[in-house]
Amino acid sequence: MKRNLPVLLALAALLCAAPAWALLTVTAATDRDTVQIDDNLYLTVTVSGDSASVPEPKLPNMQNFNVYSSGRSQSISIINGKITTSVSFTYMLTPRFLGAQTIPSISVFNGREKAVTSELTVTVVKAARQTAQQPPAQQPAPKPQRPSPAARNAAVKGERIFLKAETDRKSAYPGEQINISVKFYTSVPLSSNPQYMPPAFKNLISEDLPPVRNGETEINGIRYAYSEIKAALFALAPGPAQVGPATVIAQVPAQDQIDPFDPNFFQKFMAMSGAQGRSMEFTTDLVKLDIKPLPAGAPASFGGAVGDYTVTASADRPDARAGEAVNFSVTVSGSGNLKAVIAPKFPDLPDFKVFDTMSSLDVRKDNDVITGKKTFTYILVPRSEGRKTVPPVKFSYFDPRAGEYRELQTEPVSLMVEKGGQAARSVNFNPGTGGAPVRASGSDIAYVSDRAGRDSLPLLSGAVLSLPWWVHTGPLALLTLSFWLARFNRFKLANPLLFRFRQARGEASRDIEEAEALIKAGKTNEAVAVLYDSFLDYLSDKCGLKVSALTMKKAGELIKSRFPKATERSLGEIRELWEALELRHYSPGTAGKEGASDLAKKYSLLLEFLEKELK
Amino acid sequence: MRRLLLALLLALPAAAAAYDRGELAEFNDLYRAGQYEEALEGYRQLIAKEPSNQWGWYNAANALFRLNRMGPAVYHYAKAFSLDPRSQDIRGNLDFALRHTGQKLVPEGAPAALHYFYYIVSERELKALALLLFWVGCLAWAAGFLLDGNKWSGPACRAAAATGLLLLCSLAWLGARQTSAFSSAGVVTKAGGTRMLSGPGDNFKTYASAPEGRIVKILDTDDEAYYEIGLPKEGIKGWALKTDIEKI
Repeated sequence: MKRNLPVLLALAALLCAAPAWALLTVTAATDRDTVQIDDNLYLTVTVSGDSASVPEPKLPNMQNFNVYSSGRSQSISIINGKITTSVSFTYMLTPRFLGAQTIPSISVFNGREKAVTSELTVTVVKAARQTAQQPPAQQPAPKPQRPSPAARNAAVKGERIFLKAETDRKSAYPGEQINISVKFYTSVPLSSNPQYMPPAFKNLISEDLPPVRNGETEINGIRYAYSEIKAALFALAPGPAQVGPATVIAQVPAQDQIDPFDPNFFQKFMAMSGAQGRSMEFTTDLVKLDIKPLPAGAPASFGGAVGDYTVTASADRPDARAGEAVNFSVTVSGSGNLKAVIAPKFPDLPDFKVFDTMSSLDVRKDNDVITGKKTFTYILVPRSEGRKTVPPVKFSYFDPRAGEYRELQTEPVSLMVEKGGQAARSVNFNPGTGGAPVRASGSDIAYVSDRAGRDSLPLLSGAVLSLPWWVHTGPLALLTLSFWLARFNRFKLANPLLFRFRQARGEASRDIEEAEALIKAGKTNEAVAVLYDSFLDYLSDKCGLKVSALTMKKAGELIKSRFPKATERSLGEIRELWEALELRHYSPGTAGKEGASDLAKKYSLLLEFLEKELK
Repeated sequence: MRRLLLALLLALPAAAAAYDRGELAEFNDLYRAGQYEEALEGYRQLIAKEPSNQWGWYNAANALFRLNRMGPAVYHYAKAFSLDPRSQDIRGNLDFALRHTGQKLVPEGAPAALHYFYYIVSERELKALALLLFWVGCLAWAAGFLLDGNKWSGPACRAAAATGLLLLCSLAWLGARQTSAFSSAGVVTKAGGTRMLSGPGDNFKTYASAPEGRIVKILDTDDEAYYEIGLPKEGIKGWALKTDIEKI
């Protein structure tokens, strides 16, 4: 058992893997369940797969319908790097028989898987005019189609069978739709199914306009049955263009076998054996067309589209993750040769990686006008998160009716791109290379901070700036003060005598107070000594002479010379006080307490007197 | 005793920060859980308490960014940046938010290193530095008067001269910063952008619009209801409602 375990595991893995790649699917649907015999319906076959391309469906042989291809549309979605492609193939079916008609299973095969659709059933009913429940006698005759002048000319010539080709216009612009009608008229029954050989075109491309119309008409009194094949033509370039002869080879019987006025003329016609009668060939005349050049002044975004169009743009979803693919479609809708419409120039998108363009075409041919839409799909991969906008896409075309160019632009498309998650990967169309370098798939804001405290620098700056403004005048005041002090100091140093002269009175007063304190303390000798020294210092300061050089005579002379206003009385008072202080200073025994106090008062009064005169 | 006092002084702000951190952790948990509105409310409370706390502004900006309110997010990042331009987180997120609104933090052609150095200090720090240099310069000069007798060869005077030179440089830097994108500027915070009128009133013609999250220069604030704003890149100016613009 243990030996078999790896084998069992491998088998289990294979069983699991088998349904994983069985992703090819196909579905079919018609646009209606009931259709009139003279109408047509659209069959849409949708093939989905897990690769960038899916196989085209193989249509079974359908005898009960004429089948015309009508276009294809493709969508690709890329989710988490996985590609899913879905292609819708559209076919126009024209019923050939009345009753319940079956569309058989349609299969697709991609070389690995096969998928089939279920059968579809469509009920084909008579045309509206034939379904009226009225007696045949009272049934109004079908309104005959007005024959063209060429057909009338042919009828005038007495031709029983003829073929005519006509265009709805003789002149057109390149890319402008021209309808051509090829009609096969016969007034005699044919013995076999006629063979139609389409014309050759020069400077034109054609697009079938099914179905084949059958009817009857009367020209110059002759009743004709006719079959009409129409096609849309588009000119390729300015200049002459032409439609070559179309040919029908018919077996004309010797005798009438099919009533050409039978409503089911063509069905009977086709059912007939072609071996009877003689073979005749009918051809149309050459049809020449004049293709005019497009006028000058085409916009820069003009890519050659001619017709009448609208353009829209859309993304397949409003939001995505960074690195995740988004399908962005630009759809050109309207009438004209949509096959020739090229992709509009896509604007530069720095916020996206833009991958290859795919186009899908969905063509309708209602009322013989080629209409539809062509979708150009771009795969956009957002590089980073945030709101991203795809700017307008410009598309220009030439409107042949108005004879002028028209420029359209799409609305801008916004996408909300979120941060690329684990599931979101870069799109890589060439997977499996291995060893890919590390690449940033997106970016985001940094996480919130859990730092609550402020840093020191912002804190300090906040503290400094929160101080009242007048605090910042402090340094200026200090600077001013220091400046003044420095200047004062310099002045003082430069003028010592002046400062001594000004301060003499103050110092003398302080000395007197000191002497009085000494007298009160009973130290009269010391008090007299203080008064004597103070008086000499005062006179020295006033006279600008050192104490050692100061004599009573010298002092008198200097006072007289420096202070002319000094009176003899003041000089006498000076001499008197000087002698009294000298006597007391040098004969301490004579200096009693009251004498010392008198000297202090006398010195004080003399100071008052001298300050007034010695200025 | 001195050491004990120092320890106490240092412990005070640390205790306050510990309290704040607990509160902030609670709001950050809301942010982590994706409850951005609730987290934003908490961050706004922090900002109201401490308007100069850069992390309150930064975290609120993150919550606003997650709520896809680009205008207010840019405004809050810009406020955080103006408070702490050296933080790599603030700088990075501001640049990220600006890029989401079609702007860039580092102007086109400017070297990133030069831009970093230019904004290495905030305007507040630059102003505080200028004031401190003014103080130091004045004191040094005063000392030069008193000690050196105002002789420039003395150490105090040389210090004063050097400080004065630094002061002039810082003033020049501050002056240059007045022309920067974040000086006298505001952010368009109104969702969808703001209209620019040709005058301060609704009766004037709208001739331009400034998108949400766009940093604009505020040229005139005198009007009661309108700012006169300028878009230097486009070279246009106009009047916009004050309610549409938050001044940084």
